[in-house]
Amino acid sequence: MNRSKYYAVVGNPNSGKTTLFNALTGLRQKVGNYPGVTVEKKAGFFIGQHGEKIELLDLPGSYSLSAHAPDERVTRDVLLGLRNDTPRPERILCVIDASHLERNLYFITQVLELGLPTIVALNMVDLAQAQGRRVNVEKLSQELGVPVIPSQATRKETLLPLKLALSRAEIERSSWSPQLPATLLRAIDGIAAIWPHHEEHSLEPDPLLRMKSLLLLAAPAEDMMLLAEEMNAGKALNIALAQRMMLDRDLPSWREVLVARRYERITTLCQAVQGEGKMTSYSTTHYLDEILTHPCWGWLAFLGIMGLMFLSIFVIASYPMSWIETLFELSSDFIKELMPSGDLRDLFVDGILAGIGGVVTFLPQILILFFFIGLLEETGYMARAAFLMDRVMNKVGLHGKSFIPLLSSYACAIPGIMATRTIENSNDRLVTILVAPLMSCSARLPVYTLMITALFPGNSISIWFKGTIMMGLYLLGTLAALAFAWLFKTTMFPGEHSIFLMELPPYRMPSMSHILLQMIQRASLFLKRAGTVILGISILLWFLVSFPKSSSSSSRESSKSHFYEEVTVTSQKADQLEHSYAGYLGHLIEPIIAPLGFDWKIGIGLIAAQAAREVFISTLAIIYHVQHDEENPSSLSTTLLKETRSTGAPVYTPLTCLSILIFFVLSMQCMSTLAVVRRETNSLRWPLFQFCYMSGAAYLASLLVYQGGMLLGFH
Amino acid sequence: MNSDVSLTPLSEARAGSLLSVERLEGNEAVCRRLREVGFCEKAEILLLSHRGQLICQVCGTRLALSQQLAKKIWVKSHQLSS
Repeated sequence: MNRSKYYAVVGNPNSGKTTLFNALTGLRQKVGNYPGVTVEKKAGFFIGQHGEKIELLDLPGSYSLSAHAPDERVTRDVLLGLRNDTPRPERILCVIDASHLERNLYFITQVLELGLPTIVALNMVDLAQAQGRRVNVEKLSQELGVPVIPSQATRKETLLPLKLALSRAEIERSSWSPQLPATLLRAIDGIAAIWPHHEEHSLEPDPLLRMKSLLLLAAPAEDMMLLAEEMNAGKALNIALAQRMMLDRDLPSWREVLVARRYERITTLCQAVQGEGKMTSYSTTHYLDEILTHPCWGWLAFLGIMGLMFLSIFVIASYPMSWIETLFELSSDFIKELMPSGDLRDLFVDGILAGIGGVVTFLPQILILFFFIGLLEETGYMARAAFLMDRVMNKVGLHGKSFIPLLSSYACAIPGIMATRTIENSNDRLVTILVAPLMSCSARLPVYTLMITALFPGNSISIWFKGTIMMGLYLLGTLAALAFAWLFKTTMFPGEHSIFLMELPPYRMPSMSHILLQMIQRASLFLKRAGTVILGISILLWFLVSFPKSSSSSSRESSKSHFYEEVTVTSQKADQLEHSYAGYLGHLIEPIIAPLGFDWKIGIGLIAAQAAREVFISTLAIIYHVQHDEENPSSLSTTLLKETRSTGAPVYTPLTCLSILIFFVLSMQCMSTLAVVRRETNSLRWPLFQFCYMSGAAYLASLLVYQGGMLLGFH
Repeated sequence: MNSDVSLTPLSEARAGSLLSVERLEGNEAVCRRLREVGFCEKAEILLLSHRGQLICQVCGTRLALSQQLAKKIWVKSHQLSS
């Protein structure tokens, strides 16, 4: 019986690492999170040649073990065995993009120096060959001291040699070293000798301790304390500080030498295995970039792509969305017929089905958005969008990389916040997380649709005008996000300039199977959240709306007329609502929200929407005696327009509708997002701050609109 | 401050020119980051595009960087051999 083997898969971003991982493991994957950070943890396995299980852990793409961004830190910590939740890998699979050998080898040689049994997968050999840069695989293997296996992740038949190599019982360890000057080697060995470790003292410090010592020595002064603590350096920190002072005296350019020596050796190696590359040959990528990053044509292309994306999300998604709605309506009808009426049936139909259904309806929009985002990432365009937006983001103190998370937040702030992990600067990352929920997400869409219909009843106003209002709301959210980003950057982190440095990967034909796999993974993550968080909230909400039981609801009388029964049920619902806990809460907050033009019933809707924005619609539907009919929202909007206050004046005046719209653009009404921010920032302070500033801004803006409108004589 | 007159910041170099990195400015973290991505002293780089932000070919890959960051990289111009 063979023992299972455990590999960590490492490589640069864009090296085709994840594609190779997917090709090896297929759907035998588990996607989760590393505790404490929103970096995705992907593990999978395949069955090796001798029937043993070969487990692979896909680590985030990195440029260096020095780890400048949160996702790179995860890679470093796993490789150094610093994470309690993940065992240190016994073996390593390095993925190298053969067409970018020099860049890839910087990180890979660092990994080789860890001294673990390593296999190198030389990816995209076809691409390198097409560029006239054929790699001498044998020579490369000889120089690195480990097996090098050519592979093409996009063609499964090329993977057999790699699978064979991964099944091998024994694998070589590399003896690669960057050949540092003696002064530096002495400094590193000096630190490693003092490092607290469990093994008996040996004359030769092991490669892991040497790498830790090297990383500590080379860390920027301000990071040394933290790094020493993370790596359990103990007294070695003091030695490192002393060694730095000595180096400053003996070899003032030691920081430069540390990196330069490695690059020098890599350049020599590349020339030996690949021949000298020409610096000045322009590629297709170069000519495409001349257009796509151009200040004028680039922007036109960018706006065209964005327009196409939004059009697809709103127009194409509406068909599958209505199918899902019908499915949920049918199943709720089915349950109504199957179960006897009572609290249990109500819990299933009004609580669980309505709650889950409301959220799952958005699945097509989220899938389409992830398809587009996957396509933009796969082709390499995403980096160009960030490049173009850098100038705009600069005005508010952020840079281009923050644009990618904000773009994702149009679908949902949660994947948006997850995408901030590539931002190196922690303050930039925090600001991006704080403003991401201001980008109008897809949960606001049904609220916008209903309120715009109520704002302009009938067919007097063209659909295009309503569409323009909709785009205006999206623009308002985006501008608010930028304005608050500027405010936070200038007040909380003044005088700080972050650096914008990003690789522009070559344009590539997207792999549809890879995009599809990502969409399936995203969808299952989304559905899992819907099945846990939303389910819990739906049950709680149902309870608040249904209890305590009002006296009238206990006297259920059977009625012969089917129509009459429906009317009784809905009016019972309304009566029940007024006397429920939710109704009590609505009356409780009425004085606070009255200046915005909201009555207690809207108040209940707002309280319910605190969990998730789309709940506002279903709550209003129950409140206003309407049979819930999402396929035809005008029936709800007509009822809204008939609703009057105790004085006889209508509740839903254009001004009130506008006030509700503004409130929803700015307000923080999403428990799941707050939970993710809490996990992300590892504190309660930031989600609380986010909730307060967004709700405060929403309240003030709505107050201004409503009271200002009243003063100007609008109603 | 800068004794060698032939050195210019990367932010003032012309698109299409072949350059070698001579000196880096800025704090330890920024310098380390620049070196590790390939803007290491003595490295040869090709400035591909310069319209506000810059695109350089470094170590065989294309890197985008801001004007602000490019001011920290002092370079010497080479004659392009055709």
